[in-house]
Amino acid sequence: MSDQDLVVETVKDILGRFEPFVLTAERRWDAGLWSALADAGLTGVGLPEEAGGSGGELADAVAIVRTLAAGAGAVPVAEQLLVAGPALLAADLELPSPEQPTTFAVAAGVTVHPVDNGDGPGRFTLSGTVADVPWAGAARHVVLLAPAPAGMGGAVLALVDASSLPADDAANLAGEPRAALVLDQVAAAGALLTEAQAGEIRARYALARSVQLAAALEQVLAWTVQYAGERHQFGRPLGKFQAIQMELAEMAGEVTAVTALTDAAVQSLDRGENVVLAAAAAKVRAGAAVEVVARLAHQVHGAIGFTQEHKLHHLTRRLWSWRDEAGSELAWSTVLAAGLLAGGPDQLWPALTRAV
Amino acid sequence: MSNSLTLAPAPRSEAAEQVRAEVREFLAAELAAGTFQTHVDTWLSGVDPAFSKKLGERGWLGMTWPKEYGGHERSAMERYAVTEELLAAGAPVAAHWIADRQSGPNLLTYGTEKQRREILPRIVAGECFFVIGMSEPDSGSDLASIRTRATRNGDGDWVVNGAKVWTSNAHHSHYGIVLVRTSPADPSSRHAGMSQLLVDLSLPGISINPIRILDGGHHFNEVVFEDVVVPGDMLLGEEGNGWHQVTAELAFERSGPERFLSTYPLIAEFGRRVAETGDAAQLAALGRLSARLLALRQMSLRIAAALDRGELPNIPAALVKDVGTTFEADVVEEVRKVVDVTPSLASPDPLARALAEAQLHQPGFTLRGGTNEILRGIVARGLGLR
Repeated sequence: MSDQDLVVETVKDILGRFEPFVLTAERRWDAGLWSALADAGLTGVGLPEEAGGSGGELADAVAIVRTLAAGAGAVPVAEQLLVAGPALLAADLELPSPEQPTTFAVAAGVTVHPVDNGDGPGRFTLSGTVADVPWAGAARHVVLLAPAPAGMGGAVLALVDASSLPADDAANLAGEPRAALVLDQVAAAGALLTEAQAGEIRARYALARSVQLAAALEQVLAWTVQYAGERHQFGRPLGKFQAIQMELAEMAGEVTAVTALTDAAVQSLDRGENVVLAAAAAKVRAGAAVEVVARLAHQVHGAIGFTQEHKLHHLTRRLWSWRDEAGSELAWSTVLAAGLLAGGPDQLWPALTRAV
Repeated sequence: MSNSLTLAPAPRSEAAEQVRAEVREFLAAELAAGTFQTHVDTWLSGVDPAFSKKLGERGWLGMTWPKEYGGHERSAMERYAVTEELLAAGAPVAAHWIADRQSGPNLLTYGTEKQRREILPRIVAGECFFVIGMSEPDSGSDLASIRTRATRNGDGDWVVNGAKVWTSNAHHSHYGIVLVRTSPADPSSRHAGMSQLLVDLSLPGISINPIRILDGGHHFNEVVFEDVVVPGDMLLGEEGNGWHQVTAELAFERSGPERFLSTYPLIAEFGRRVAETGDAAQLAALGRLSARLLALRQMSLRIAAALDRGELPNIPAALVKDVGTTFEADVVEEVRKVVDVTPSLASPDPLARALAEAQLHQPGFTLRGGTNEILRGIVARGLGLR
């Protein structure tokens, strides 16, 4: 049993006590699941102990995120472990206690003013509206990636205390909070980043969603294969019909492609490489797989899968949401192509062999 | 997800990156010298024995085979890098492709010592080419229904009668590995009674007739056997074990980069066009195609790594071929939707030429080496459905 298998078993045990539910404005996230994970030290995995985390490897954090995604856990773990935490550490900013959720958002429309021009982590004030903040209203802190103050170039990474910021009820297709936060002269600790550093954080965000997509896609395939074996029509299981077998095989191809690419991108991140193109590719590929896998999963499940009574929607609605979050498929395919062509029109192939 | 579909990630291989750089340098020099022109689908259509010989001289054929048979004892990951570079450049690799990819490995597994010593070093040198003799006029996807038969004569030799089709480049090849019935068909055991014969294509009684594909190219043939006497010691493997041996070849046949790079030269031309125009829709299309290609590389690399571990991952190989050939066919549609170009084989515009070549080769991608319907049946078995 590998270390990751142990982590996965622990998360599965906890998930077993918290069934997924339909998220509503009244019940926007699974606070009980979060507490159980935090009590077990799982909300600090992959973040170093000296910074207040639980230690462990990136692979452990990814295993936790995958397991929670497959179980439709309504908690900001992917944001905290794979994006906000590592981004704060890379920027030499202090990590809030991992026991309280920290989320992440790209704040393109926020204006940032420096308060302190001294060396090291500075203080900034932020004003403007941040759209699509994952888990706004649930997360205690939000790490924002905003444009740098005028004349400074690059970007600012700021740690904002979100506990007193009003959040609206906006949510994604799965009901996960994706609210707008309005900042009015909010003071925050922050650090200046180069445009390249900011790009790597955006890539991390996309890769985190890709990891979630890969895990959810695998689970949807497994559910669908299982259902096709259990559901009988015309006197035989659905899975005995060749038409259904063709659909399940097509799903398996998509899922395998996403897993292979996402795993490779994660390994590349683990080796400390620049993952902008790898993450872009993983996100685009996962998004493309969602179209096929969610469509065919619903087709095979029939009408029951189209109801909130059946569990399928917990993942298919998330798949349809996640594929356009953290940068849409259009945005990342453009980044990918432009990056691959950056070395010149005749260097596309060498760029492809280096990208992941 | 069923374990039979999942493979461990491929490790990094410095040796593979080293040989990749050498191949890239070689190809740049050959292109500069004008010894070949880039085309689509060159592992079917690019026959150039002189080019194959050059690859042999550089140690890029029979790369993974034992040294005692002329091989180079390098890893499947290194071979992957070499084949991938050749395909991406659209280099003429068809002459040796089948021999290097699957006939040689088949001989290594099932061949007699004499067969190996006589033939393998010649494949490694790029001087001996093979065809696959599986499909017949009445047996396509249902391979077990073949009727070509071989019977022993009084001297212990095999007398072969029947016909094989889609034998790529038989008119340029030296040997065929031919699947024959050596016992009458048994309805209760469809896969029994078949054997593989190693057939010298210059034997009397063999006629090779061209079958032209859509662009007029002569790659396919019908190979007819009329009382062809094949020496008794040219049985490959065991009599009656033919079905098993054919199945074992397929992990090699179905998992390599030729299952998703047949139309890469079109992507390369498209990339040049996008770099020139900077058009947003074209950039996005190139990004989508690139993401699919990058995923396929990782899938195929996992299989190369599994081969290095001594595994024969037939089901993941079927998956690569299904996803990969669907991709190489889709390239045509993705590109033509975002460029204002009319495909033409004679056009001075290389993008129009590549589009035309890819379009006219496209139907073959999802047929050859097992149709995608057959492959999905294999995948369904891996999912536990049949």
